Amino acid sequence: MRNLFNFIIRNSHWLLAALLVAFSFYLVFTQNSYQRSVYLTSANQVTGWFYSLSNDVTSFFHLKKNNQLLLERSAELEREVLSLKEQIEILTAADSTQVSAFASDSLPLQQFDFISAEVVNLSFSGVNNFITINKGSQHGIRPDMGVISAGGGIVGVVSVVSRNRAVVIPVINPKFRLSARLKNSENYGSISWDGTNIREAQLQELPKHESFHEGDTVLTSFSRIFPRNLIIGFVNSEGRSKDDNFNTFNIQLATNFYTLQEVLVIDDTYYEEQKQLEETLQQ
Amino acid sequence: MKLSYIYEILLFVLLILLQTLLLNRINLFGIATPVLYSYFLLKLPVGRNLYSVIVSSFMMGLIIDIFLNTPGMNAAAITIVGAFRKNILGLFFEREGYDDFVPGINTAAGPFVRFTIFMVLLHLTLLFFIESFTLFNLKNTLLRIGTSSVVTIPLIIALDSLMCRRKAGEQ
Repeated sequence: MRNLFNFIIRNSHWLLAALLVAFSFYLVFTQNSYQRSVYLTSANQVTGWFYSLSNDVTSFFHLKKNNQLLLERSAELEREVLSLKEQIEILTAADSTQVSAFASDSLPLQQFDFISAEVVNLSFSGVNNFITINKGSQHGIRPDMGVISAGGGIVGVVSVVSRNRAVVIPVINPKFRLSARLKNSENYGSISWDGTNIREAQLQELPKHESFHEGDTVLTSFSRIFPRNLIIGFVNSEGRSKDDNFNTFNIQLATNFYTLQEVLVIDDTYYEEQKQLEETLQQ
Repeated sequence: MKLSYIYEILLFVLLILLQTLLLNRINLFGIATPVLYSYFLLKLPVGRNLYSVIVSSFMMGLIIDIFLNTPGMNAAAITIVGAFRKNILGLFFEREGYDDFVPGINTAAGPFVRFTIFMVLLHLTLLFFIESFTLFNLKNTLLRIGTSSVVTIPLIIALDSLMCRRKAGEQ
């Protein structure tokens, strides 16, 4: 008996190590779909503070490029405004008599609102990539909101939210899934990432007969999170598919995660309503 | 004695900040990332209490995990390395050393380099295999272990010779 105790005491450091490793593996395997406590992610107070501090410094280096991007974007919007103005002029000029009885609501409720946020941290060195942004629940951010870049490409989906920070699961995370389609086709496929290249994702489960040309635009289709017809990326080449019945394409992502600084979080005003409606059906 | 504890705590904090704020944003050729925080384990005195080695390596890993949103992965890998540290030390350094002896490039260059290579390879192998539980791709995982080690080992040796030179200058 004494020998047994001696043995245990002599080797208790192995026991301690085994316990700590077991606890770590528990953390590894219970983090299903990122529904974890806010405290163990970069959304918590302390890490958030460190990250925003370091971001204050690094954002200087991107200022010039971001200015350029914003200018391009504003020019684009300007052009759009002009063309829309022209259309309005044409429409109002053509017909002087109006039927007001069938006119639609003069102030239609806008479905999508955008909350701008800054990226405070971004990891893309491993397989489990994520993005931390500097807006949280007090700015109206909820889990499952879509996130797009200032240039218009999709970035990811909000997963964990604290008061002032939120963690976004980007396209370049193997847990990310999104339905998508090629611009001139009506068939749906699904976007995922194979973990090799952060400029490239895969468009899977497209029907075999689907043809493609290099540079074809890939857009979002039905989704609770993103509006339709947002740009995801452009077809690069045909990829390896797991299944003979479906095609897989490699697509060049529209968002460049290496230089991502400003993002827009999409607030769908009908989200709660749609969710409630769909849940009543499931009951 | 107390001064060396302060030095260790400073190193602990510095390595965490270096890893999370700088090194983890580096991604050479899309695969290689320097993982420098295991340097802390290399620089503990040979005779350090095993429990404190294991607990401090676990704390190191956990804090890195919280910063990088990878719960448990770094903690598991570095704790295993910390548990076997004493046995690995025995492979490269003479057993009859002083307890206060700190491995370093200035004291025993050859053994230290071999010790570093072994520890880094072990750490990165564990880390990348644990990470690839979610997405298994053997070729890619091996490539990442190899390239990241090639980047990490020279960095650790360079950092160590820098630290040793500064220390020698102070004395």
